[in-house]
Amino acid sequence: MSSPVPLGALRAALAALDGGLKDARGALSFGDARLDAALGGAGLPLGRWHEAAGEGLEGETGVAAGAFVACVAARLANRGAVVWAMRRADLYPPGLAALGFPAERLIQVRVRDEGQALAVLEEALGSVGVVAAIAEVAHVDLLAGRRLTLACEAHGATGFVVRRRPFGGGAPSAARGSAAATRWRVAPAPSIPAAGEPGLGPPRWRLTLERAPGGRSGDWIVEFDHGPYPLRVVAELADPLLASPQPRRAAG
Amino acid sequence: MVRGVRRVVAADRAQRPVHLYVHHTAADAASHVPDLITGEADPAADQADLEAISDWAARFSPAVAPDAPDGLFLDITGVAHLWGGETALMDDLLARLAAAGLPARGAVASTTGAAWAVAHFGEGFGAPGAQSGVIVPPGGETAALWPLPVASLRCEAAVARQFDHLGVTQIAQLMALPRDQVARRFGAAVPRRLDQALGEVPEALIFRRPAAPDVARLSFAEPISAPEDLARVTRDIAVQLCARLETRRVGARCFTLSFHGVDGRARRLEVSLALPSRDPASLARLFAPKLETVDPGFGLEVVTLVAEETAPLTGRQVRWDPGEEGRLEDDAIAPLIDRLTNRLGEGAVWRAAPFPSHLPERASVSRAPLSPAQTPPQPERWDPDHPRPLRLFARPEPVEVTALAPDDPPRLFRWRGVIHRVRLAEGPERLAPEWWRAPFDAEDEGESELGARDYYQVENEAGARFWLFREGPYRFDRPARWWLHGLF
Repeated sequence: MSSPVPLGALRAALAALDGGLKDARGALSFGDARLDAALGGAGLPLGRWHEAAGEGLEGETGVAAGAFVACVAARLANRGAVVWAMRRADLYPPGLAALGFPAERLIQVRVRDEGQALAVLEEALGSVGVVAAIAEVAHVDLLAGRRLTLACEAHGATGFVVRRRPFGGGAPSAARGSAAATRWRVAPAPSIPAAGEPGLGPPRWRLTLERAPGGRSGDWIVEFDHGPYPLRVVAELADPLLASPQPRRAAG
Repeated sequence: MVRGVRRVVAADRAQRPVHLYVHHTAADAASHVPDLITGEADPAADQADLEAISDWAARFSPAVAPDAPDGLFLDITGVAHLWGGETALMDDLLARLAAAGLPARGAVASTTGAAWAVAHFGEGFGAPGAQSGVIVPPGGETAALWPLPVASLRCEAAVARQFDHLGVTQIAQLMALPRDQVARRFGAAVPRRLDQALGEVPEALIFRRPAAPDVARLSFAEPISAPEDLARVTRDIAVQLCARLETRRVGARCFTLSFHGVDGRARRLEVSLALPSRDPASLARLFAPKLETVDPGFGLEVVTLVAEETAPLTGRQVRWDPGEEGRLEDDAIAPLIDRLTNRLGEGAVWRAAPFPSHLPERASVSRAPLSPAQTPPQPERWDPDHPRPLRLFARPEPVEVTALAPDDPPRLFRWRGVIHRVRLAEGPERLAPEWWRAPFDAEDEGESELGARDYYQVENEAGARFWLFREGPYRFDRPARWWLHGLF
């Protein structure tokens, strides 16, 4: 039997074998150890591109996925320019502002088709001064995904793809391979208003991490938060049954 | 003022003869004429006005030279026939000047000196009704100059006074004097001016020209048509033009590249930039995708590049490493904005700005992606207290709603054939139409109320949020109409 190898060295060897996080430009933490651990330790890796999709009608409207991406990109927007490329220009800036995103600094681009959207995304990611770029496309195949990864590595910008078929059409085919660093599925979740107050509570979404470096996945219910982290994790779903939500933290 | 004493610079033609002349002291002049009206002399404004008049006079001849302080030279060689002769041209010019309130005296001659002499010192001007233009026949300069004083040769005032002291009052007497002695005594300028006036020595005038446009031009020994040749000449001409812009320390925002072919057609490509620039590499890159649309035909002989909308542009240190917490530098993303705008079109790239309006569809306007530096920060902000959706439909979609009572939020609604049960709701938020935009004479009462909308933010059992509105207040006599305006 060989001598016992230290656990840390084994972990380092595994991480090197993963090959996904070499040259990572930092990470955006969500403030929750479970979510950060599923993403590889420190949080959402920057300098890569990520994919967010919805199901059902979300596949056409792209609301929940767009809101998730807006919450995450809002934390990056103060470091540089953010570009949003879309085929259907129905993004409403006051709604973005309500999610904490500085909408008057967002550069919006309207494109005619998918190819142009991916070209604009690739060009924006490769430009100096751009810290994040978002595009709404129906599908990113492996070759285009590899090009996006290369573009991100040029200047360390972070890319986001919101899967959306803005003008309807058939349901997307079964999930094909993707070159994204992480792949998410976002669905709306019922909100819980503050005790005794009428109306709606802060918006909640159900996040499903389908693919991440390290092959982990998970299910969480997150809530919009005005704090330093983009979203507040309310519950972690170990199985399809809904776990009991955690009580809200007191402010401060 | 001359040496601390106010002197008269110019006096206009008075209705009754008064004894005023130039260099008369102002105090003296006021004592001669009690009701004298004086004004401060402004030589700079006079010069500017003279240049403006010479620009106007370009309609008579392309070669116009201002002659300070109050004259113009026009070279009308070859243009007089357009007016039907020199007399008609001069009459037209003087009539237009007189109609503008500038009575003038004109003279036409074969040489500059003779024309100046006759116009300034000739006889027959001044009296009302007399001709205001004199034409010296070709070859008649000598005869025309004979009776004129020596000062009409445009020599210096001191020299002219010396001639006066000596009793040489007419050019005829000057011409009788031996030339070399005149040159030795009074300077070489006097015989030269005389020769210029008589036409024996040429004289050059400096004509006003419009500012040269920033143009670069390349011509080829053989016509080109290959795409890589087009790309290469685009780069070369961009380098040439940008070097010229750099010597003038300006950048340009609009560039027009024209290819002139052997068939005489010109193919024009245009590129416009958000910020003035003179970088040849980025310019060539912006033209590159447009070169594919150029049809060379039988070949292209000449290429020109014109820069318009120039603005001062000083050299600037470009940061190639934005750093960790870099600010949003407009200069850094200007190349990206230029590439996207030139490829996708002017309206395809924008930034949102708040607009003070109640109607949600008008609360956000698009503006140019790079704001000029002088724009003050916008005072309006979107109100964070009122919920607004992330996606707003351009046209609200009709929904069928079941609501219990007036002003209650909906309990159930059907959109696109799917029934949604409402679990939580907020509202109503009433947004009234902007009365200042409707015509004042909108007929019947209640018309303005119909435009008011009551917005509700509802959440269905799955957690999806919708922004519904009811059009108009609740009326018991007809069912309300509900619409879906956006999704959260």
